[in-house]
Amino acid sequence: MASRPGMRDDARGLMADYLLIQALNGLTVGIIYAVIAAGLTVIFSILKIVNFAHGEFYMMGGYFSYFAIALFGIPPLLAVVAAMLVSFALSIVAERTLLTPLYSPTTERKGDYGILVTFGISIFLRNIALIIYGPYPLRPPSFFSGALIAGPLIMTWDRVFAGGAGILLLIALVWFMQRTPWGEALNAVSQSRESAAIVGIDDQRFYMLAFGLGGALAGGAGALVGPIYSLSPSMGLIPDTQAFAIVILGGMGSVSGSILAGLLIGVSESMFVALFPDPSRSLTYAQAFSLVILMIVLLVRPTGLFGRVHTSMD
Amino acid sequence: MPNQKSPENAVVPAGRLPRRNVLTAAGAAAALPLLGRRARAADPIRIGWVGPLSPPGGYAEGTNMKNAAALAAEEVNAHGGVLGRPVEITYADTRGMPAEGRTAAERLVQEDKVVAVFGEFHSPVALAEMEVFHKYGIPFMACDVWSDQITAKGYPEVFRNAPAVSLIDVAIGQWMVAAGFKNVAIIAEKDDVGLSARTIVQQELTNAGVKFTAVDADPNLTDFTAQILRFKSASPAYDFFISIYAEAGAYPMIRQSHDLGFAPTPGCGIYNSGGESVDPTFWQNVGEAGKYLVTENVGLPKAAWTDKTKAFVAEYHKRYNADPSGAVMESYDGGGLLFDAIRRAGSTDAKAIIHALETTNYAGVRGQYSFSTSHEPAWHYHQFLNAPLTLLQYAETNQGQADAPIVWPRKFATVPYLYKKPGAA
Repeated sequence: MASRPGMRDDARGLMADYLLIQALNGLTVGIIYAVIAAGLTVIFSILKIVNFAHGEFYMMGGYFSYFAIALFGIPPLLAVVAAMLVSFALSIVAERTLLTPLYSPTTERKGDYGILVTFGISIFLRNIALIIYGPYPLRPPSFFSGALIAGPLIMTWDRVFAGGAGILLLIALVWFMQRTPWGEALNAVSQSRESAAIVGIDDQRFYMLAFGLGGALAGGAGALVGPIYSLSPSMGLIPDTQAFAIVILGGMGSVSGSILAGLLIGVSESMFVALFPDPSRSLTYAQAFSLVILMIVLLVRPTGLFGRVHTSMD
Repeated sequence: MPNQKSPENAVVPAGRLPRRNVLTAAGAAAALPLLGRRARAADPIRIGWVGPLSPPGGYAEGTNMKNAAALAAEEVNAHGGVLGRPVEITYADTRGMPAEGRTAAERLVQEDKVVAVFGEFHSPVALAEMEVFHKYGIPFMACDVWSDQITAKGYPEVFRNAPAVSLIDVAIGQWMVAAGFKNVAIIAEKDDVGLSARTIVQQELTNAGVKFTAVDADPNLTDFTAQILRFKSASPAYDFFISIYAEAGAYPMIRQSHDLGFAPTPGCGIYNSGGESVDPTFWQNVGEAGKYLVTENVGLPKAAWTDKTKAFVAEYHKRYNADPSGAVMESYDGGGLLFDAIRRAGSTDAKAIIHALETTNYAGVRGQYSFSTSHEPAWHYHQFLNAPLTLLQYAETNQGQADAPIVWPRKFATVPYLYKKPGAA
């Protein structure tokens, strides 16, 4: 009988280890979700459009990183920075060439225009990727090979790096939005472009910056996950859907809300898979579970976790 | 010069044609049918090809299959075409979506006027397309699609040169039982083929008293770590992990299973079903995680390669710098089977082609083809019952699928063992 409490302790210990590993795994996935969703939020909060091409900028970022390494021999870490810069430039080109009618007072139904144009960009980028990069999955080299093994915890260094780099990107974004004049100007434009114009803020410049910033974050996330998930022209489809749910959960237009919601969805999906009583249904229902969370939050707080009221273009 | 009356433009009263002109006109009239026949003989025979060439379908393998179809057409045209006419293939991208497949099939029949169609990589799409082909009576050679339902529907227009799920997954289940696995973890993609394949594997395991846990997953999913961690923590431990997963998530799943120390390990083997593990990009994406993995090959085993197989493999390799997978061979042979049937039918009449296909005895790169006309069981109808199928286990990283040891069926086995554990001598 003396061994029984010990056995229970062992079982409890194993369970605690298991839950900790699952939580850490969910956290790294959640950080990537948060980076993607934060970019989508920046665009939404300033331009007041849902960018349906966001998943494709994520995909392009992954490929930019791959080819920076393969063609120019850039080290993987620098390739992430290069991918973000090229994604930033690509986003600005897309914004300048296709989205400027959004800012014209003569354009009617701006919301519909934004949906149609970004949806078109999404299809264009996915198909151009298919032509340029080919249909075959590509895997960039690892940032750091091997895995972190600490007791029962096993996590590849690529995941550890992606999680760490994701946190740095999110901190940098929050700092930029809250502590720099450009971030404050973006915030001002997001609240009222007329008021921002009165104090001398050129709103066109900040629409461009917001779309570029959003694209750079998506591209950075794509570059970070390349060695983990491999790259394919269709890789943006699921993160796109997840990011929309996260943006709504966080409160449309709130960067902090989307970061928190990304982490919440990542961890809760992982814990759902870990704990759902029927193991054969856990993975099947995991994504539905995140939507259940979304519905519950919206029932309690219809504007999301940190909802804002400025959700349409003036 | 309106008044000039040259012999050519002179107005001649009716009934008073000069004798020479009458003879010329009669000669021209007699020659018209011949001219017409010559013109028709130069018309190409239009054949349709269907398959995924863009997302969200399996466009990587779809592109490979299209390349093989083009090669088949190029070769037959280089040898004079079929019935003295060149073959022209119209390629339709179905994007792996049933609705797109249905539209593509309608367009091929109604606009492109194809006389027969081959290809396809996704069973749900093939099932949608074949309704259209059945409606118009157009022969359809389904290539890399495995759902039993495709031939079980009993449509006279539909033939299949790939193995059916009942052939593949029974073999996989029988091999797992023979290899002695006792507790199996399964992840299957949540679509028609994934679910029917999982059901058949489960049936074989149940019959043999082997325990299993089956999980279904979205075909576009790429992160399986939470599920693999759950498998890894299970008690009693799993000794085999099979993923029935043909989409882009197959590679990350194999890698995540390896990186988390779940499988392949000395305690747990790994299998991937669906074709991704014999694709040219397999090793680039999975690296050392692919060593010891078991998968199926629907191409002819290397030991049974004919001169035709060798010539095709060499030509394909020369052009695309990759070994053709079984699906690629199926697409190449799909074209060959239709060309052969049209040639033997002596016309492009649909009923004649279907009749010719039923009496096929054609040497393709995957062996000698013939199609069953039995409806018992239902999926046998118009099925290539001797479709080659072998299970191979990679023994080395970067090993070509043609060089990997064959472990099942035993008549094709190239090694004495059924399964080699990591680290075993």
